[in-house]
Amino acid sequence: MRSAPWRQYFTLVVEALPSARGLLPLVALLGVWQLLQTGPSPYFPPPSDWWDGLMLLAKSGRLYPALSATTITLLLGLAVAVLIGTGMGLFIGVFPRLSRAFGPLLEFLRAVPPPAVVPVAILFMGYDERMKLTVVVLAAIWPILLNTSSAAERVHPLLLDVARSFRLSAFDRMRLIILPSVVPAILLGIRVALPVAIVVTLLVEMLTSIEGIGALMIGAQRNFQSSQVYGLLVLIGLFGLLLNNVFAVFEAILLRRWPPKTQSQNF
Amino acid sequence: MDRDRFIAGINWPGTAVLVFVGLAWEAAVRTGLLEYEYLPAPSTIALGFGELASQGILAPDIAHTLISVAIAWAVAIVLGISLGFLLGLSPVARRYSLASIEILRPMPGVAFAPVGLLLFGFSLKTEMVVTILPVLWPVLVNTIGGVTGVHQRLYDVGRTFRLGRRDTILRIILPAAMPPIIVGARISLGLALVLAVVAEMVGNPEGLGYAIVREQQALRPDLMFAYIVTVGVIGIVLNAGMLALAKASFPSARQLRGG
Amino acid sequence: MTSTEGRSGADEKAAGPAFECRSVTVEFPHKFGRKRIIEDISFLVRSGEFLTIVGPSGTGKTTLLRAMGGLTPTASGSVLVHGKELDGPPEDVVIVFQDYSNALLQWRTIAANVAFGIERTLERRETEQRVHDALALVGLEKNADDYPWQLSGGMQQRVQIARALALRPAVMLMDEPFAALDAMTKASMQDELLRVRDRTRTSFVFITHDIEEAVYLGDRIAVLTGSPGRIDRIFEIGLPAPRDQLTTRQLPKFLEYRYAVHQAIGRIHG
Repeated sequence: MRSAPWRQYFTLVVEALPSARGLLPLVALLGVWQLLQTGPSPYFPPPSDWWDGLMLLAKSGRLYPALSATTITLLLGLAVAVLIGTGMGLFIGVFPRLSRAFGPLLEFLRAVPPPAVVPVAILFMGYDERMKLTVVVLAAIWPILLNTSSAAERVHPLLLDVARSFRLSAFDRMRLIILPSVVPAILLGIRVALPVAIVVTLLVEMLTSIEGIGALMIGAQRNFQSSQVYGLLVLIGLFGLLLNNVFAVFEAILLRRWPPKTQSQNF
Repeated sequence: MDRDRFIAGINWPGTAVLVFVGLAWEAAVRTGLLEYEYLPAPSTIALGFGELASQGILAPDIAHTLISVAIAWAVAIVLGISLGFLLGLSPVARRYSLASIEILRPMPGVAFAPVGLLLFGFSLKTEMVVTILPVLWPVLVNTIGGVTGVHQRLYDVGRTFRLGRRDTILRIILPAAMPPIIVGARISLGLALVLAVVAEMVGNPEGLGYAIVREQQALRPDLMFAYIVTVGVIGIVLNAGMLALAKASFPSARQLRGG
Repeated sequence: MTSTEGRSGADEKAAGPAFECRSVTVEFPHKFGRKRIIEDISFLVRSGEFLTIVGPSGTGKTTLLRAMGGLTPTASGSVLVHGKELDGPPEDVVIVFQDYSNALLQWRTIAANVAFGIERTLERRETEQRVHDALALVGLEKNADDYPWQLSGGMQQRVQIARALALRPAVMLMDEPFAALDAMTKASMQDELLRVRDRTRTSFVFITHDIEEAVYLGDRIAVLTGSPGRIDRIFEIGLPAPRDQLTTRQLPKFLEYRYAVHQAIGRIHG
């Protein structure tokens, strides 16, 4: 297998997708809902109304700024979390005595779910973008840090022997051997951190009404704009789906040099 | 002999770090080194615990959240395992449903909060709207995986003993699929706690989640931290409880310790 | 012997032994103090020579090799490369490990793997040249852009050998490199190794538990037995070159050496 041509990649991706017939329940649900609900409703507006609600938001110029605010915070927060999480993870992994000493402390901190920390951040940092970003970073950092440190600890001793045998400096050893070894683990950590980051971002926006999709949703709910609420719900769903799949593709491309078993598995 | 091994097994450096951090925190606040309006000393937080407990506020809050968790988890288990078996045993059913599941699975629970508020206002039902779907997925997905993952060899054994359909399910598939199902149940339990807390923050103003926000807005960081610690401890207890239960029921299964 | 042909006699390095162990002893911390793994190991390896070290499992063969490669410190005695005492992994010595899968960088191409030892010290053009030469020596030119996990065990081991060769080392230490391969691959790898030795000036120290392999490959055999492991005897192998899997192994002399080595190993074991 030389580097696979794009067509080969594409076929692989398509073959890995579940059968499109599986969309039946969802489509059926929406279809029945649409048929049964003949007029506007405060509780169960028909799917067609959802689209109208979204369009209304878009035309009023509030949808795109909110969407970009949420996306930027998310991506930026993840990027920072990757930087810090990877750095700290590598550090802890390379000094296993440190990991044993800090283990219980980290476990203790990890036991507190990120959403519970949001009010703390609000209290400490107030209602602004910096707080929102901080919370996302704090929430996303754990899976990345833990995955990186455990992978760094598990670098095969033989590889470290090779590093010594070739008289690599500590810096080169980190750069050429340890870091590439933990890349699959880092990507796994990011994949786990992604949904957590999304939840926390939306949570902050809902609690504080800082600009974002979450704020839009809560606002719509307070104004009893049910069609907008459902429309935004679908939007978030698609957004999350898109993010996950874009990341999966990115991961697959990045991991094409690694033996297949380190790549993500679906059943 | 056992006592010596136990002592040797304790993570001394780890415990030392924990104790040191706690003491340093206490000292820093008391001596004014860390003078921050909203950062209380550990002792203050402990006092806050006492205040909540004595005023009888803590227990009802914990109870409310636990009830929320229990209901969501129970529904997830019943629905998840039964649907999971159905889908696991029938490739046709899977073909006509997996794509929908894959689309719904990444939905963040918190996004359902406005919908819940819309439909049910401030009530336990709103918490359910937020919690139920996300908590269902780990059990469902793990059950499907557990059932489809039963090794072909086991089916062969069943056929050698001429087991009928019902017996095959009960005596081969069910036990073989149990470890991943239990892992799914454990993940769901933790998830139920987190989502209940989230739902109580943005949806129903009751329980531990609301308490955290309430104390934050009342500018009582000591009480806020006390509630946060409570959530963390409950999470640890629930997880440990499930692990113990799992190991007791299936002492031979090694996969239970995963995740 | 063919290995000594084509070398300039004026070369200083070729004068003294390429490699020497003097009374090397290695100990490891143990429950009640220290355990001696190998004791009083002394031998030397001449330039271009193929020395095999043979012994049953548990005699400390790997420990000896690691001590020779500077990965394990010695409790007493010294290891010398070109007359200079070791202080950590020496420059002119390279180790080829038995576990090829974990000794290669699975995320790098074959070419990048072979370049691993030289890319930091040589210019790009020279690195590429050496990589090309090394791959040609082991017959893997066509696989330069593949990844190790795409290749078979024998090929991966050849990559490790190529990586070692790219450094143009004075001494190549090999730790049972063919133990994990099937019999046919092993045989062809043995011949390939001898061909490589014939075309370069490298000295080889080859560790194995396979007595026939030791006799087939070696110019000399050191027998390591006992606990702690000691060098019992060193045999001069007077078999003709070039060696051949079929004919050499049938020579009466081959069988004699084989018998003698078996005996030497069996003696201390009782």
